[in-house]
Amino acid sequence: MGVVRRRSGSFVLKVNPILCDGFGHCHELAPELVDVDEWGYPIVATEPVPLSNSGVLQSARYAVRGCPRQALSIERSHDAEKPQ
Amino acid sequence: MISSGSLPRVLHGSEGRPLSLAQHEEVFIAGTPFNVMHELEHSGLTGRGGAAFPTFRKVDLLRLQRGHNKSVVVNVMEGEPAAHKEFALAGANPHLILEGAQVLAGLIGAKRILVCVARDNPTVVNHLSRAIHELERRSLRGAKIELHTPPWRYVAGEESALVHWLNDNESLPQYRPERPSILRVGHSPVLVDNAETCANVALIARFGAEWFRKLGTVQSPGSTLVSLTGAVERSTVLEVSLGTPIRDILAAGHADMAPQALLLGGFGGTWLHGQHIDTPYANEHLGAHGASVGAGVMAVLPREACGVYETLRIVRWMANESARQCGPCAFGLPALAEDLTSITHSSKDPKAAYERLQSRCDSIEGRGACRHPDGVIRLVRSALIVFAEDIAQHIVGRPCTGTQRPKHTITIPSLEHEDELIWE
Amino acid sequence: MIAFTSTYFWYTTRATGIVALLLLTLVVTLGTLVANRIGGTFVGRFELNELHRSVSVVAMLFLFVHILTTVVDSYVSTGIISAFVPMTSAYKTIPIAIGAVGFDLLLCVWISSLLKVRIKNESWRFIHWFSWLAYTSAIVHAYMSGSDTHDGAGLLLVAGCAGIVLNVALWRYFGRPERAAGRTALSPIPRAKTIPQRTDSTSRAFPTQKPRRR
Repeated sequence: MGVVRRRSGSFVLKVNPILCDGFGHCHELAPELVDVDEWGYPIVATEPVPLSNSGVLQSARYAVRGCPRQALSIERSHDAEKPQ
Repeated sequence: MISSGSLPRVLHGSEGRPLSLAQHEEVFIAGTPFNVMHELEHSGLTGRGGAAFPTFRKVDLLRLQRGHNKSVVVNVMEGEPAAHKEFALAGANPHLILEGAQVLAGLIGAKRILVCVARDNPTVVNHLSRAIHELERRSLRGAKIELHTPPWRYVAGEESALVHWLNDNESLPQYRPERPSILRVGHSPVLVDNAETCANVALIARFGAEWFRKLGTVQSPGSTLVSLTGAVERSTVLEVSLGTPIRDILAAGHADMAPQALLLGGFGGTWLHGQHIDTPYANEHLGAHGASVGAGVMAVLPREACGVYETLRIVRWMANESARQCGPCAFGLPALAEDLTSITHSSKDPKAAYERLQSRCDSIEGRGACRHPDGVIRLVRSALIVFAEDIAQHIVGRPCTGTQRPKHTITIPSLEHEDELIWE
Repeated sequence: MIAFTSTYFWYTTRATGIVALLLLTLVVTLGTLVANRIGGTFVGRFELNELHRSVSVVAMLFLFVHILTTVVDSYVSTGIISAFVPMTSAYKTIPIAIGAVGFDLLLCVWISSLLKVRIKNESWRFIHWFSWLAYTSAIVHAYMSGSDTHDGAGLLLVAGCAGIVLNVALWRYFGRPERAAGRTALSPIPRAKTIPQRTDSTSRAFPTQKPRRR
């Protein structure tokens, strides 16, 4: 199977507000991370999510892929190396 | 001759006409040459365009960038309509600005200086182009200076919008997710600095950090230009030492000494209640009241005026000045203007409008590519605090008489299409 | 040269051509539904987008088979070059040329979409507009080169597809969302009825859920 890598660190979903055109696909695909305002534009959660939370990470990936304007991106930040 | 630590500094020697190159060199006799980077660092100079970012850090960042065609952009756009300090400076000491730009160009290794002035102000364009010609005739060594004239808009003075105009001829702010981020003209890094900051850099290069710190406070050293408007005898630009109590500034400008409130910073700044006019004019003291020096605007609101109405007029204008690239700003700001209208004119359920206004402010904040909506929200929130009693009266249907005054306090440039705020 | 032909090539090329046309009609309709922001209540907007992407892949497959069977069949003197370069086919020069133009455009649209993450969004959109031109050439090619599209069911099919897409195109223009200064669209999507809780979150994540200031 290979090496099992434990994911450490967190990610945050980022939206480019200039490219965003308010389609709303991200809210449908990742409702845990993206809320929508009264004009249809996304309110993206700013709190980092641990990478181990694979369900939310997968939703984020779908949202990035599904955005018609490619306005979303996932930004990762890794934890410092833990001594064994 | 500038040797003592007194005012005026950047406005020194002017008598209504800009100084020629010969006069300039006579007035600002050079001091001993310094290690300018060292002096810049110790001077603690911060940007005078509104963001107050430490100039040394910006220059240092640009110095480390690779690029064979770096440039310095001098921002004389004066985006804030209530401010006219860049224009006053260009009308007094254009050579000081250009000299400061040359110093910065030398520090970062730039070969070009791009001076950007709004084309809507031909007098200032003229002053600067004359000054540039004088330098060219002398054929002094240094970076090549070019004059550019973008059209004037509020966002055109924002540094990423200015660079975008230089690149693509459209003044649209850019999305900058990583801080600190480098702006580029073409492929080469560029240092964007305000005209007043450049002038201060020139003075620091000539007279040193010690001299610079003789005025101002420890945390906010030096002097700054203040555009005093509103309930004043005449709109003026004063050069003040940072940390001067606001009361003294008002007295020096012959302003209303018992104002209802002061608009500090600009249209994207904050209101300061009239009871706080003894606060020293420096960020560390103004911060306690939620205000900041910003772009050096100080608009005085007299007691007879209606603060909410003035805020409404500003918000409507700012909503129209949005670049409309981002949904929350393009649609949110006009919505804020609508809610403020309901409150000010006590029409259509002002209580609900008040609640909606607050939740909309929370919703829109931080979701634009630039800080334009954040500025408007900051202004609205400060108005809700400073004019709380007045608002309470408006909500229950007893608006003050300030809305019917024939001449409004704060001068706002006319809206292009007053009735079509955002739809084309 | 050994004659490499069979009536099955002929049947396949006609059949796959018709199916490709029908699927392309569906693709254009779905694309317009996405562009005009349909969905959010009964069907998800992202679902229409995914359907648009998937059906376009199937349509391209049928198109490849249609071209392959025509090219391989030695009964008609259409070489592989004439599938890409217009006016190089001896058999039915103009109709095949129009088909080639449409195919080239569709290839550009398809490849740019496969590389969508790597190219600028404005470049992708520029190329995508040409899909309308590609469809028009598909209709004209179908009418002109089809052996049974000049009367009866074939004509009805081609005319029907053309009529549908014409209506869709008109709706694309007249039913487009309102915009602020040509840059930002207004087409609010209904807020999800239940927002699932993230299993790890202890505090509120969304800025609007900040405690109210007094």
